Amino acid sequence: MQHRRWTLLAALALALTGVFALAAPQPARALTTEKATARPNEDGGSGVIGGMDTRLTWEGTVEDGEEVTSVTLTLPEGASFDHSTTRITALEGLSRMDVTGTATPSGSSITVTFDQTVPAGSLLRLEITNMQFPAAGGGVVVSGSYQTGDGSHELADSEPIATIANTPLQSIVNWLDQQPWVQAWNSNQFLGMFLRPQLLVTSFASLAPGWILCLGIVVAAYPFAIALGLLFAMLKISKWRVLRAIAIVYINILRGTPLFLQIYIMFFGLPMVGINIDNNLLGIIVMAINSSAYLAEIFRAGIQSIPQGQYEAASSLGMNYVQTMFSVILPQTVRRVIPTVTSDFITAFKDTSLLSSVGVMELMMFSKNLTTVTGNITPYVAAGIFYLIVTLPLIKVVGTIEENIARSERGGGPRPRPRRRAEVADGAAERMKEAEAAEGASVSAAVAGVSALLASPNARAKEASDVC
Amino acid sequence: MKLSSRIAGGLVVACALAVSISGCSGGGQTGTQASTDSSADTAAYTLVEDGKLIVASDLANAPLDFVEEGTSDPQGFEVDLINAVADELGLECEYLPAMKFDTILPLIEQGGRADVGVSNITITDERSEQVDFTDSYMDSNQGLVTLTSAGDVTEESLNTEGTRIAVQAGTTGASWVEESLPNAEVVSLDDPVVAITGVQSGLYQAAVADLPVMQYLCSNSFTDCKVAIEIPTGEQYGIAVNKDNPGLTEAINGALATLEENGTISELEVKWFGTEL
Repeated sequence: MQHRRWTLLAALALALTGVFALAAPQPARALTTEKATARPNEDGGSGVIGGMDTRLTWEGTVEDGEEVTSVTLTLPEGASFDHSTTRITALEGLSRMDVTGTATPSGSSITVTFDQTVPAGSLLRLEITNMQFPAAGGGVVVSGSYQTGDGSHELADSEPIATIANTPLQSIVNWLDQQPWVQAWNSNQFLGMFLRPQLLVTSFASLAPGWILCLGIVVAAYPFAIALGLLFAMLKISKWRVLRAIAIVYINILRGTPLFLQIYIMFFGLPMVGINIDNNLLGIIVMAINSSAYLAEIFRAGIQSIPQGQYEAASSLGMNYVQTMFSVILPQTVRRVIPTVTSDFITAFKDTSLLSSVGVMELMMFSKNLTTVTGNITPYVAAGIFYLIVTLPLIKVVGTIEENIARSERGGGPRPRPRRRAEVADGAAERMKEAEAAEGASVSAAVAGVSALLASPNARAKEASDVC
Repeated sequence: MKLSSRIAGGLVVACALAVSISGCSGGGQTGTQASTDSSADTAAYTLVEDGKLIVASDLANAPLDFVEEGTSDPQGFEVDLINAVADELGLECEYLPAMKFDTILPLIEQGGRADVGVSNITITDERSEQVDFTDSYMDSNQGLVTLTSAGDVTEESLNTEGTRIAVQAGTTGASWVEESLPNAEVVSLDDPVVAITGVQSGLYQAAVADLPVMQYLCSNSFTDCKVAIEIPTGEQYGIAVNKDNPGLTEAINGALATLEENGTISELEVKWFGTEL
């Protein structure tokens, strides 16, 4: 493709020289600069930072009828090629030619002398590793010269390479690089591989957006998951066989297949049937659907753990099924399922990591990219710490809630002060008034009282065993 | 921590010694190999498991290294090649389960689980700081794949905001995109098959990976995709070996030279690529 472009350009140039034959002709170039690029060396970023080791790749084509014996690349003052290594590749079309050579750095320029002449028509690539751009940053133009059989010629300037000056974060890393304790720490293979201080610093900075996205996805997905889960829980305990069947199929398929598979189907399948949804949004949808199946089972178990006597009590108060559900059963269910739902939230939060396999830029994706660039496992450890920041407090919350629930189920915990009989009667009158004023809120309390009256010893035993 | 790691290090050294001693006393095979190779020090290498050459690969780059549908055996050009190398060295070749490409070099660098990494790994100066490479056994280039229906694309038309280009994480293809198409968004995936699947389903505009792999995938499995741009990089594949094990690098270089000489490598090239390279 490139070659075609260049022949086109060459043809154009020929035509132009034909038109302006009398004008001074351009000096013919035997070696044309194709491009010069630099490898991003910002830890966890995509910038090219000056004053730090990186790799310069320069490409040029040797024009017809010319042979090149050496190339000198020159960078602006402040660049350095000391300690660099150079890899020479010469290609004819796609096939590699045997070209070797030696590179001699001198200040901000480097001269590569070839052992064999680079023949006409070939693409020459020089990859110079561990060189440094000027520390000040800015657009860096690669210029230089080359030697052919008939002497030295100027090389055309490359397109400028965008570089930046050092960042504060990078300065910290460079400072850490110098510390003897850091070197001692890293010399231990395990610590150096999993807990390299320099990488922990850069990881924390560059993983943060991924962490925010993870949290965003799961927080956005969860309300939908709860609503969907509740819906399917209701369907599953429905009287109608068809609704039950729908719920069972939905819940069992989603709980019975790996989330990984569901992600693949949604991310690769939907676009194939012509539905294109933003990746992050799709991530939210997948997480919501997946969690909803687990939540449906949790809610169903929670609802069914409420003793039958309460339904009877509610209907004795003249409530219909919907009223019973929303003002008697569900409020009690919520309290019972909070620990399990929180555990499921923790699982869902960790499961967002699977979205990295389809290119959602979440925490694991960032760490994978960093690990790739650095060949070190530390970014994954940093990601683990990010996960813990969310999960540890939640685990603590679950523990506390479970303890409180267990205590109140045992009959411990705060209870009303003992009152005299007359006070109780007054209280009952008051309660009647409240019930008239705000029906929904106090009805459940009243029902609980009635159910206690109705419940036989058997039902009580069942209540104890049904607690989820 | 430090103390225990030293003890562990001591253990490793002890094991290595034991392996090399038993390797020597095991005798015959290593001895003959060394004599054909005309350098006596080639036998001085350590192996994770005695008598076995354990290979790490991603097994996701047909026709170089892959697992055919319906089988569990790794196969491909590189698989045949490393088996031939192991034969030359009198060792039995054993593949670890497929792993992600970007974990292979750290694994080899760390040592202790695999002897060599063979997964169309391009020799670069950065990687040479982590591991040793054997001599190259194959030249390669990069290929950029789009949908056949996408029409002509150029580097310029892809180097725009909002263009998503899939690559295999940690590959030279990935760094080519980062460097040459800085405006496009690089999406790092686990293997080229996932990348090209994403192109097929319209998730990404293009995918970049090693040219032989892309050509194979486009002509065999993903017939609605095409190699739109052949990127001349002239890179060379090498076998990755732990830096503390230069003897093994030497020995494999010797075996590769023998295989090149007796025509085995050309045979394998014809078998897998249909032509000598």
